[in-house]
Amino acid sequence: MGIHSVTNAAIHLQNAARARLGLTSIPNTKYNLRLALAMHRAGLLASVTRGGPRPPPPEAVLSGDDGEEVTSANVATRRIWVGLKYWNNEPVIKNVKPISKPSRLVTASLGDLQKVTRGFKSGMVQGLTLGESLFVSTDRGVLEAREAVEKKVGGLVLCRVS
Amino acid sequence: MSAARPAAGRLLSGACLAVRPKAAAATATAATTLPTGATTSPHAAVASACYSPSSSSPCLGRVLARPFHSSPHLSARRRPRFANVRASDMGLMDDKQIDDFTKDKFPKYTPEELAHLRTLYSPEQMAALEAGEAAINPRDLTVQGRLRTDPYRMPYIDDFAETQPVIDKRARNKAPPDPHARFMDLDQFARDLIDWADKLPKGEVTGNLKRLQDFVPEAYRARPETQWPAEVRDEARAKFQRYMEGEVAKQQKALNAKGSDALSDLGGGPTDADILQYILERSVMTDANRQTDSSMAPALPNKVPGVAGLYKTVIDPEDQGKDDLGIYQDVKRRTGMTVREILNLRDKQLLVRFVSNQTRLGKVRSCSVIHIVGNGDGWLGYGEAKGTETQLAFRKARINALLNLRPIRRYENRTIYGSITSKISATIVKMEARPPGFGLRVPYRIFEMCRAAGIHDLSASMPRARNPMNSIKAAYWALCNQPDPEEIAMARGKKLVDARKVYYGGAVY
Repeated sequence: MGIHSVTNAAIHLQNAARARLGLTSIPNTKYNLRLALAMHRAGLLASVTRGGPRPPPPEAVLSGDDGEEVTSANVATRRIWVGLKYWNNEPVIKNVKPISKPSRLVTASLGDLQKVTRGFKSGMVQGLTLGESLFVSTDRGVLEAREAVEKKVGGLVLCRVS
Repeated sequence: MSAARPAAGRLLSGACLAVRPKAAAATATAATTLPTGATTSPHAAVASACYSPSSSSPCLGRVLARPFHSSPHLSARRRPRFANVRASDMGLMDDKQIDDFTKDKFPKYTPEELAHLRTLYSPEQMAALEAGEAAINPRDLTVQGRLRTDPYRMPYIDDFAETQPVIDKRARNKAPPDPHARFMDLDQFARDLIDWADKLPKGEVTGNLKRLQDFVPEAYRARPETQWPAEVRDEARAKFQRYMEGEVAKQQKALNAKGSDALSDLGGGPTDADILQYILERSVMTDANRQTDSSMAPALPNKVPGVAGLYKTVIDPEDQGKDDLGIYQDVKRRTGMTVREILNLRDKQLLVRFVSNQTRLGKVRSCSVIHIVGNGDGWLGYGEAKGTETQLAFRKARINALLNLRPIRRYENRTIYGSITSKISATIVKMEARPPGFGLRVPYRIFEMCRAAGIHDLSASMPRARNPMNSIKAAYWALCNQPDPEEIAMARGKKLVDARKVYYGGAVY
């Protein structure tokens, strides 16, 4: 499975946050959805909603469901609408740094992730500092590095968010 | 002789005889107005009256220098071309000649002169003046008066009749300023203005005079001047000219007859000179226009709001004598710190640069200083100042740093939170928190800042430019803008826990 889509989505979130957008959309893929949900679990996103080419209405954003079934007829026009968070006039997502890219996939074993989450460098991955999150694609889904350590899995390192 | 004064000129022309101050006083009384330069101070007058020739032996003209050879001095060998002629042989020493000269050159004061001197001097000074006059026989001045040529003579010749601005102190004959004088309020000012106007001549001179129209026949009087026939106009102008000349002569005559005070009787309003004098010389204080010698402006009143207390350095007993110059009074007021606290702060001058502003008049050099101040316990101030005086720039920078004191967030009171990167221009400063006991492994300017702020464990690096000024600024920015875990937790809606504190059961700070 290629990661270009998820890499682009991650970078798009950084751009949208820096542009101070409230709501933005990324392509509707399973990988993007998993990353968005992982970021939502980490508190980096306000909402994740699957919708059409137009922004979903506010109540749909709040509930996370616009009430429209995904069918083979409309799946191509579906997008994932994510709400961005701001605090004290600053975006919560300030920096997004993709680590794996289509030309070089970076993986981290459990041991690597354990070191990285303690703040030490391991292989290609620098240690996490205050307020940083690392998203890893594992066979248990896309997880935050600390979740992955908790679940004792390693995987493909997607991006680092702070 | 180069400093010879006019009075000295008279002295020299008076056959090398001393002159008493009478001559100067006489000229002063003769003039209707007394020039300020000719006012003699009482001391000068007495001194000059006491000026008497001491050495009767004329100077031989020897040069008082040690010869460097054994041959006699040139002046000793001098042979006059003519034999000396004694004064007595010339008939200058007989009693009649001496008396005539004495009467001519050293007359006694006339009663008018004495009356004028009494207006200038107090009775005590007049008594001293008269005693000085009585002490010296005018005949002695004639017979024995000599110009001093000894090495201890005055460097200039003077009878002290006139003040010489470079050498003499200015005569201060006027009364001191009135200490109770206050600035006039509106009523006082109006009264003063009316008083001044009352002394001016009444009426309008020009209003009483005839006009050109009065010199033409009745028929033309109503018409404008341009419509008069040429011969009528010329005649009227000639008559008017004659009339005006006559009026001017009449007024001049009246002026001469009555003296200078007569102006007020003639009629007419204030002249330009009067108004200028009013503007320039009339006092704005309630001192009845008293003239003084002091050029000091009256002090600003203390009770005016906005001025009160500004121009007096009040030494605060709370300072325990630590700030008698009042340098830190403003800082004290604005920061709420005591002077003792201010002086106990750790401060360091981090950077001194000599900079110059190139103007068309040349380079204007000044000193640019960056100063930091900290209490060693989480507060750090950054001050930047520039001044042509180095010491003043130092002081300004320090005071700016004091006013700029800010809290620096410290993790466990020893290091920073997380890692920070800041960039000013090409200078990037990267700072990282470090474990206890790591120490300050940082560039020396950042070391001083950490020490002042009370940070003990830190590593910092400057991967790119290491410009001193920018590195200080970037480091200060980084220390002031550390990430706040509480803020991050609130922003993400998460609970963040410091694992170190959990692990050690909170036994770390």
